[in-house]
Amino acid sequence: MAVASVAHSGFAGYAEEPDQLYIETRELRIQGFLLFMVSDLVLFSSFIFAYLYLRNSGQGWPAGGPKLDIALAAINSIVLFGSGATMHFALENWKHGSFVKFANWIVMTIILGAGFLSGQVMEYIHIGARWDSGIFGASFYTLTGMHGLHVFGGIIYLTVLLLQAAQGKYTFTKYTGLTLGTLYWHFVDVIWVVLFSIFYLL
Amino acid sequence: MESYEPLPENRDPVVHLDRQFWIVTAVLAVLALLSILFWIWAPITIFMPEAVDKAQEIDALFRFLAATGTALWIFICGYVLYFSLAFRRHAGTPENAVGIQIHDNNKLEFWWTVVPTVFVVLMAIFSIRIWYGIEVAPGNTLVVEAIGHQWYYTFRYPNVNGEVKEMHLPLGQPVTVHVTSADVIHSFWIPAMRLKQDMVPGLINTMEFTPTRPGKYEIICTEFCGMFHGDMHSGTKENPAYVYIDRPAQYAAWYARTERQQANASNAVAAPASNQLKLAGGDAAAGAKMFATKCSACHALGPFDQRIVGPGLKGVLYDPAHPQLVDGDKATPDNVAKILQNGFKGSMGQMPNQAGNALSNKDIVDLVAYLKTLR
Amino acid sequence: MAATAVHAGGGLADHIHPEPQGFVRKYVFSIDHKIIGIQYMITAFLFMILGGMLAELIRVQLMKASGGLMTPETYNEVYSIHGSTMVWLVIIPLLTGGFGNLIFPVQIGARDVAFPWLNMLSFWIFPVAGLMLYASFLMGAPTAGWTEYPPMSLQGQAGTSMWAAAIFLIGVSSTMTGINFLVTILKMRAPGMTYTRMPLFVWGQFVTAPLLMIATTALGAALAALFVQREFGVAFFDPARGGSPLLWQHMFWFYSHPAVYIMILPAFGMISEILPTFSRKPIFGYKMIAFSSCAIAILGFMVWAHHMFTSGLAPALQLPFMVLTMLIAIPTGVKIFSWVATLWGGVIHMTTSMMFAIGFLATFTLGGITGVFLAAVPFDLHAHGTYFIVAHLHYVLVGGSLMGILAGLFYWYPKMTGRLMNETLGKWAFWLFFIGFNGTFLPMHWLGMWGQPRRVAMYDPQFQGWNQVASWFSFVMTAALILVLINALWSMRNGKRSGHNPWNARTLEWQIPSPMPYYNFKHVPSVFAAPYDFAEPLPYRGLEEELTGAPPPVPAAH
Ligand code: HEA
Ligand code: HEA
Ligand code: HEC
Ligand code: CUA
Ligand SMILES: [Cu+2]
Repeated sequence: MAVASVAHSGFAGYAEEPDQLYIETRELRIQGFLLFMVSDLVLFSSFIFAYLYLRNSGQGWPAGGPKLDIALAAINSIVLFGSGATMHFALENWKHGSFVKFANWIVMTIILGAGFLSGQVMEYIHIGARWDSGIFGASFYTLTGMHGLHVFGGIIYLTVLLLQAAQGKYTFTKYTGLTLGTLYWHFVDVIWVVLFSIFYLL
Repeated sequence: MESYEPLPENRDPVVHLDRQFWIVTAVLAVLALLSILFWIWAPITIFMPEAVDKAQEIDALFRFLAATGTALWIFICGYVLYFSLAFRRHAGTPENAVGIQIHDNNKLEFWWTVVPTVFVVLMAIFSIRIWYGIEVAPGNTLVVEAIGHQWYYTFRYPNVNGEVKEMHLPLGQPVTVHVTSADVIHSFWIPAMRLKQDMVPGLINTMEFTPTRPGKYEIICTEFCGMFHGDMHSGTKENPAYVYIDRPAQYAAWYARTERQQANASNAVAAPASNQLKLAGGDAAAGAKMFATKCSACHALGPFDQRIVGPGLKGVLYDPAHPQLVDGDKATPDNVAKILQNGFKGSMGQMPNQAGNALSNKDIVDLVAYLKTLR
Repeated sequence: MAATAVHAGGGLADHIHPEPQGFVRKYVFSIDHKIIGIQYMITAFLFMILGGMLAELIRVQLMKASGGLMTPETYNEVYSIHGSTMVWLVIIPLLTGGFGNLIFPVQIGARDVAFPWLNMLSFWIFPVAGLMLYASFLMGAPTAGWTEYPPMSLQGQAGTSMWAAAIFLIGVSSTMTGINFLVTILKMRAPGMTYTRMPLFVWGQFVTAPLLMIATTALGAALAALFVQREFGVAFFDPARGGSPLLWQHMFWFYSHPAVYIMILPAFGMISEILPTFSRKPIFGYKMIAFSSCAIAILGFMVWAHHMFTSGLAPALQLPFMVLTMLIAIPTGVKIFSWVATLWGGVIHMTTSMMFAIGFLATFTLGGITGVFLAAVPFDLHAHGTYFIVAHLHYVLVGGSLMGILAGLFYWYPKMTGRLMNETLGKWAFWLFFIGFNGTFLPMHWLGMWGQPRRVAMYDPQFQGWNQVASWFSFVMTAALILVLINALWSMRNGKRSGHNPWNARTLEWQIPSPMPYYNFKHVPSVFAAPYDFAEPLPYRGLEEELTGAPPPVPAAH
């Protein structure tokens, strides 16, 4: 509260104490972002429901019986979870005031994310089914494709965050954008856990 | 900071209901009672005869629902009307007059949660009991299949080849109707029976009832099915759809006639001398279509182990792991046909027989031809 | 200190930008929740005129059993777009984007919603999507009703894909609105505005917002699947390729049942404001009304399959869906009874707004009770897909949601314009509407019971009499709505000046000038009690300067 009277100076000081306005705005943005993720989760859940429903509605699943490569997918999952860890380290390092370490970790994250995407592309080629070749194609490609798009969007998002951080848009005490980016990336990880289990383990 | 002290008057005042209120309540009670009596005796059947056993039960449920609903509604609207008139601000009322400042009343709120709950529970119990009556299969039944098309109905009878355009049912005999569709979703509604099932392609829905009143009743499609959805009822002349409930003798005559006529139809199969069908000339494509509507509910097109109700049927005739059919006979087309004709009850459950699946002989021939293509 | 961190000094509440100048920034791409609310309303009322005209086309066609006005194909397009328009372009936008935006931020003592830019975006998606929906007429509109069941909708013309895209966009807009409103209510209440002091209209929005957020996304998934199935042959719903038509029904109703509560809960909120104000009495059972809204919202997610009782739903599922559906009657009943009790012992001012609110009680209750009939599976087996359903849905939607909206329009009109709507004209409109409405939709109950299916362009001649009755009364109802429209337009210029609080209402929006100024409050007030104690002084502090000539709030330095 002590800083309530600090004037807005336009340029955020290097270690400026977060002021009331910042605290409140941060809360709003995080809250809003969480709710966005909830509704995104509903989107995935709907398609997951669709997949389980089709699978159990007894019209001959999986038509054509494509073979999923569980080993590839497992490696790919590890890559993605690894990227979750690196993202975590990136944010922690930012909190501790190290831009360089932050940048290194976030670049790692981006690379791992890209690695995951290429793994996905390999899997797609390997399966050989098509989006429009029956209900397996429909549910598998729709769900993993949506997830892939989320990863892709995440990579762009993280890149933008990195550039913004480099330009000094965030300080070590004010970094809502980075928090949101991290949340998003973890969210995408969690979705993958679900997708992996329903497609490869079920 | 100053604090906000609620004024002492903010206690809810004690409420006395005056005589007027009780008089109104009594009047409403009388009206509600009258409405209940009305629904008990309402001549529903003048407008809509009850043609099957279940219609009566459903009407009883409706009378019950309508009576409670109307009574409740009369009370609510009665009070709304009464309060709006009785407590209306009069010309002389000062501009700043306020009403009686009550906030809640736990006892009252308790009761008006409990009373609807009781009503709901009653409605639920009543509905569930009747629902069971509708669901439970009445044993030894005649199975008829009703198929929706854009924009007419056809019907299949056991041992009758092909599809017929009229539905006849014998009075007093329990009937199971399997409804399905050849194209889009239709619905099969006979108002006189108070029953309806959607006809969904790839799915078989069932209705079970016993006809109790001879006559001719219309069938109506209530699920939008394209341009001439509005034609799938008897109001328009093109495709009148009726069900005829016949006396048993009449029905038998109709059935015999139809069986004969249909046997000579183009899709006929030589009438079997014994129980054995001649399997030559099956149409695998027709069989595939038939399979999608009738069999896929229980059988997947996957390997034997992929069960839905019955086993997966991919390669029934060729599977080295299962050289025998579930009934122990060798996996030959003739023996498959036999299973389709007679059904089979084994460890997995009941495979319905020809009548149960409402298959004509021709259908079985087609189906076997189709199953032969599944390697 | 920390306890009231929200809105403490230097926070968001004091973060003010100067009022934008110039027509475009002020009225077109405005980020002010009040302007956005009004934009929503104007757009939605325009769509309502279109949707209403389509409804009248329906009624003219059905004057004769053999139809005659339109070909069946056109007729099918007409009711499909009628239903879609009324649900997605009229009622939902009016109740959430329209009245919601306009009123609830002020009622919680906020200066704006949490994300004003997002709010603007939500709005601008809406007319675009609406025009897309109407553009589908040019491409061959969808014909399978607002529910668009496959496989029918897979055979529909190109406009069906357009329909899916348009509704998807509307869904995106709704979802964003839901998030925005929820964050606003959670985080931006004025000091002292606890959950149990929020006006009930805010409660209505508060429980609607999660429905918007969650249910609408599920619809988005269904629409996306329909779209890719149609355009790219991805087999979700096509039975010929292993898909399941019932899957669509599940996905659609998982949205659309909660959606019917999106269309009624805010209206419940309006009624809960209007009845106490014009009875000069505290709302009876505040907590139960708020709580029952939550119960309805939660139960609302568990009953969707009651639209599918005849479609081949497993018997084991029919029972729980039936019982859960019936349970909704209990919380709703609690509300109805509380409203009736609010009238008792009041000093009732029979304004037009109040008359619509009272009319709401009668008609909505009837529609709700027929809803419970439909929940009883054996009865639904008879009534499903008939005019009985049409009757039920219009009793709750027109007799409920629309009546609520009309009550709210008369009530809050002064807050938008600073003028009152004409009461005499308003009362005429009410009576015409009430009579016209019941005359139109009451006969549909027995028409359905006797055997008139819905979605037909021609019907059995024996039903012609009652159909004509319905049609004639529908013209009366339209006349009433035209009167409302004329009244609204005329009063904008010529209405009596209202002053800031013409109804002596006690919620916060009435304590500031009409029309409401930019940034709402000069000083954000603090709140000490729920707003309904008519015998007490107002439970607010810090409003002393609102109605004086004191200078408006000063924008922050940057
Ligand atoms: C909230 C929604 C809503 C509203 C308000 C209405 C309003 C009306 N509806 Fe609608 N209707 C639906 C939702 C709604 N409907 C839905 C969801 C369906 C199902 C569709 C389907 O089967 O898929 C349906 C179907 C439906 C049918 C069945 C069609 C069929 O199955 O074949 C009929 C038939 O009579 C009908 C009639 C009417 C009439 C006469 C009105 C009248 O109330 C209209 C009154 C006229 C107007 C509203 C316009 C005039 C107004 C103005 C000029 C001024 C307005 C401006 C201000 C108020 C400021 N509707
Ligand atoms: C605002 C919109 C709205 C609302 C609020 C409701 C409310 C309810 N609806 Fe309705 N409904 C629709 C809009 C709405 N509906 C639409 C648009 C359709 C058709 C869709 C289509 O196919 O096109 C539909 C269809 C529909 C069906 C499917 C019918 C069919 O197609 O076969 C069912 C079945 O259960 C149903 C039930 C209910 C119930 C139980 C309620 C309950 O919430 C009602 C609760 C209220 C009360 C019960 C009244 C007050 C309570 C009391 C006074 C207490 C005492 C009462 C009792 C003990 C009974 N509705
Ligand atoms: C109500 C469910 C049901 C339907 C419908 C059904 N079946 Fe079956 N079917 C079964 C069951 C259960 C079995 C296995 C019986 C057992 O061994 O327990 C079976 C067994 C079979 C077998 C023997 C399989 C084998 O490997 O030995 C064949 C062939 C078969 N069904 C064909 C059909 C065809 C063709 C249809 C469609 C006309 C059909 N079924 C419809 C339930 C069904
Ligand atoms: Cu067949 Cu409608
Ligand atoms: Cu519903």
